[in-house]
Formats: sequence, C-alpha cells, structure tokens
Amino acid sequence: MEKWRFIDFGIVDIRDMMAMDEAILKAGEENTFFFWTPKKSIILGFFQKANIELDLAQCKDYTITRRISGGGIAFSDDRCRQINYGVVGTIDNELFPMDIVESYKQICGVLIDTLRHYNLNAAFRPINDVVVDNRKISGNAQTRWEGKLLQNGTLLLDFDIEEMLRISNIPKEKFMDKKIASVREGLTWLDRELGEQRDMIEIQNVMKQKFEDRFHVHLRSGSLTGKETEFTNSLLPRYYSNEWVYR
Amino acid sequence: MIRNQQGIHKSKGGLIRSFVSAENGKIKEISISGDFFLFPEEAFFKIARELNGIEAKREKVQQKIEEIYKRENIQSPGTLPADFTESIMKALEE
Repeated sequence: MEKWRFIDFGIVDIRDMMAMDEAILKAGEENTFFFWTPKKSIILGFFQKANIELDLAQCKDYTITRRISGGGIAFSDDRCRQINYGVVGTIDNELFPMDIVESYKQICGVLIDTLRHYNLNAAFRPINDVVVDNRKISGNAQTRWEGKLLQNGTLLLDFDIEEMLRISNIPKEKFMDKKIASVREGLTWLDRELGEQRDMIEIQNVMKQKFEDRFHVHLRSGSLTGKETEFTNSLLPRYYSNEWVYR
Repeated sequence: MIRNQQGIHKSKGGLIRSFVSAENGKIKEISISGDFFLFPEEAFFKIARELNGIEAKREKVQQKIEEIYKRENIQSPGTLPADFTESIMKALEE
C-alpha cells in the first residue's frame, strides 16, 4: 500500500503554522496529511481585509495572520476544542480531482465519514462546507500550486459564539441575543451534537483512519524535510508582517 | 463628484465587498475584499487595478472583468464576473 506522510504539529503559533502550510505545498515532495491546534488566533482569508471583518480594538490578545487561500475567517478561541487539518496532494484526477468542487468533496469526505462514525447526519454542502442536519460544522479552504492542492479545514468540537461576535466588526449594541440565536441556528459543533465531550485525540485517530480508508493509503508519521524547513524560515517574515495581515 | 460607498453582494461562493469612488463618470479608487475563492489568487489584484479609470457603467465594468477572467484563466467556484460587477455597481449606486 502506498505510504503518505502524516504530521501532528500540536499546539502552534498560527503564523508559524501558515508558513509551514505553504512550505509543504511549495517545497514538499510527498502527499501529506497533517493536524495542528491553534492558540487563540484569527486567520484571515486571502481576499479579506482585517479592519472590515474585525473589531480590531477587541482583538488585542489574538494572534492574527492571513493564509494563501480564499474564504472566510478561521477563528480559534482559547478552549482549543477544534481540530485543524491540512492536506497536500498531487492533483491526479483520481484521488484528487481537477474540478475544484469535486476535490473539496473528496477531502471533506474524510470529515463526513468521521462524523458518520459518531452516527451524525453529516453531508457535503457545496462549495466547501460540511454540515450536520444542515448546520455547518466544518469550513474548508483550498488553494492550488503547480499541479498540487492544499486544503485546510477545521472541525468544530466546541465554539464560543459570543466571543466570535465580540471580535467581529458588527454593531454590538442591538439584537445581540438575536445574533447569537442566528449563529446557533446555522452553525454547530461536535460536543453539542453528541451531548458530551469526546477526547480530541480519539477523534483525530478516527479521522486518520477514515483518511487512510478513503485514499487507500497508509499514513506514516514524519516531519518537515530540510528543504521545507528552510522554505518555512524564508516565509516567516511575511506571516509576521503588518503589510501581509493589514493590507 | 467623489463617492466612496460599500457595495455588498453575496454570491454562492461568498460575500463580495466593494468600496468604489467615481469622478467625472470614471472609476477613481476601488477596493474589493471578501470571503470568496478565486484561483490563481494573485490574479485577483489585477481586477481592481485594471478597473481603475474605466467608465463607471455596468457593461464596461462587466466587460473588463470578463476580459481579465479569460486572460488570467481565473476560476472562482460559486462566484461569477457578474457577481463582482453587482457588488461594484451597488457601491456606485449607493
């Protein structure tokens, strides 16, 4: 069976992680599946503007950076109950389809299989969401580079709606209860769906297993290569710079 | 007359926010942002750059965006050139 690389980065600074993310895509030489756990942070989508999306005065204790793929904000509170994953793969039109939405669907299938393992009614909602009973539980973002794709995504185990609204650039005085209710309607998380807290490592292991089953590969633990580390280091100044984050 | 208003339009692929100012019927300053997806990402900046200075009319804006899409082989799942045009025109009409 073909062997692909697996890396668990553990708890990381999101700026370091986004640099490693880009390095795996651009300097890596093998298909890779990886996890990380962000500290309190906000990742802007490539086309977003920080001052438009965020109430910056409320974000002072957050690490903010930007990723190279589009889509919306990835917000991580200090509960750390969120599984973040990345996939880098060569677009072969088989395991990783050329068609963008089809390739989202394929990778999101790993999340759907994981949620179904817990008997949840999970489905793909084009373009890039996974839903349980029509509520979003996972957001995903993809970019492509020289015949390869990079997909990042998050599986919510818990989520602090009030905190998310607090840092968002929305009028706070009015209808706060209504806004919370509306987010609760459209979004969900695993702890809420299961009515209990499952161990995060256990869920990650189910995901790994579902990934192996779906792609018919064996995941072998590894780490960044020298080339990837060197490339990461060359990218770090950008991910730490105000020019990149607040452009 | 200089105007600079936000035009918000939601496409299937995401929210598009445009800030546009026009002077003497021409687009003078334009900034587009949002949570949509577009490949290749770098080509996106050409849209605002090349819209600068063109006539602030729907068909001219649409034509220019379509031209850039074609030339740069842009793919934006769930978002069409017409969605960008809509957001920009909303900003102009505010």
